Amino acid sequence: MLIEFDHAVVATSQSQALRGVSVSLDQHRVGVIGPNGAGKSTLAKLLNGLVLPTAGRVVVGGLDTRHDLKAIRRQVGFVFQNPENQIVYPIVREDMAFGLKAQRLPAQESAQRIQASLDALGVGHLADRASHTLSGGECQLVAMASVLVMQPDLIVFDEPTTQLDLRNRNCVVRAVASLRQQAVVVTHDLELLQEFDRVLVVVDGQIAADDTPGPAIRWYREHCA
Amino acid sequence: MMIEPLYIQGNRWLHRLPAKYKLAALVAAGIGLFFIQNVWALSGAFVVSGALVWATGVSAGVWWRQVRGLIWVVLTIGIFAVVFQGWLPAAVVLLRIGALVGLAMAVTLSTRSSDLIAVCERALLPLERLGWVDASKVALALALTLRFVPEIWRHYQEIREAQAARGLARHPVALIVPLIVRTLKRAQQVAQAIDARS
Repeated sequence: MLIEFDHAVVATSQSQALRGVSVSLDQHRVGVIGPNGAGKSTLAKLLNGLVLPTAGRVVVGGLDTRHDLKAIRRQVGFVFQNPENQIVYPIVREDMAFGLKAQRLPAQESAQRIQASLDALGVGHLADRASHTLSGGECQLVAMASVLVMQPDLIVFDEPTTQLDLRNRNCVVRAVASLRQQAVVVTHDLELLQEFDRVLVVVDGQIAADDTPGPAIRWYREHCA
Repeated sequence: MMIEPLYIQGNRWLHRLPAKYKLAALVAAGIGLFFIQNVWALSGAFVVSGALVWATGVSAGVWWRQVRGLIWVVLTIGIFAVVFQGWLPAAVVLLRIGALVGLAMAVTLSTRSSDLIAVCERALLPLERLGWVDASKVALALALTLRFVPEIWRHYQEIREAQAARGLARHPVALIVPLIVRTLKRAQQVAQAIDARS
């Protein structure tokens, strides 16, 4: 799916989070790195219209985020930085069903899809657990499954490994790698990006470097460390 | 301390009984118990509600953890009733509360929250047709409440711990202000997450 940023600006009266970003992305795995507060999350949130550009435009798969919000939300899944906020129902299975509700699937098909999505990430046993009893790693994987169950074409991750221990981090890294969908991953975990097709370095609201992982990460280390 | 989930998995007759009957019976009992003044009849209701809690198969430990928070409330009401009204009216009030709490527990212990929410949603449909409420939004609000009450409790404890670690004494304002700020911030993020998924 082709993602196009065309002079996208995101500004409030006080500050500019993004100052005119223009880039086209159609790679299978795209990483976004940069210092804290550089505008990475804002860039990610533009992809499914959680944030709308104050000037310029963002087109995802031929749909303008400003005009085709509903269609875009169906195509683009978003995994948040804090997965706990994403799980809104008291029981895991109920939460997974929440997103599917709008698609009006028959109950049996919906139940199958929920179990398959959880199983795909190795957390099928958590289906009946109370959401508030999940550990950090479980929470992240369940949040991913709740996005997968919607079968989007593109999945955006906002720092998916930040709060995880090594074992859970590896689980999430493997899960991201195994996705057949296109993925855009915002992260500080540079190792995660080794096998990616393209990495953008965002600095001060602009794309400062745009390359394959090796050179992009080198640039980031030289200029932002 | 962690707040435990209300529902206990099981396959007894109370679990299998459809949620709509259980909720309807609870509503009827909730209203009916206030018309009964006879202490023997209320004792009977109390025993029945105790038997229903037992029928859910809940263990004594779980039961105690769920009711211990209520002890102080019930005790306060009991003392006031004894002092101002005498023993018999106090027994009437306490038996009535006890029976109601027991019945409510029996329903929540044996019914999935999703089933409870679905029943509420259906019960609200006539009001939705009149254009008074949006049933699905009410259902979501119910679900969010059930989901986030334990989280807010955890935030409270984290803030309390952070303050204790700095040697601060328990102070209501110092606890409530950060708790409200955190809860509102959280609400904003949750709203965004719901937006992203719908």
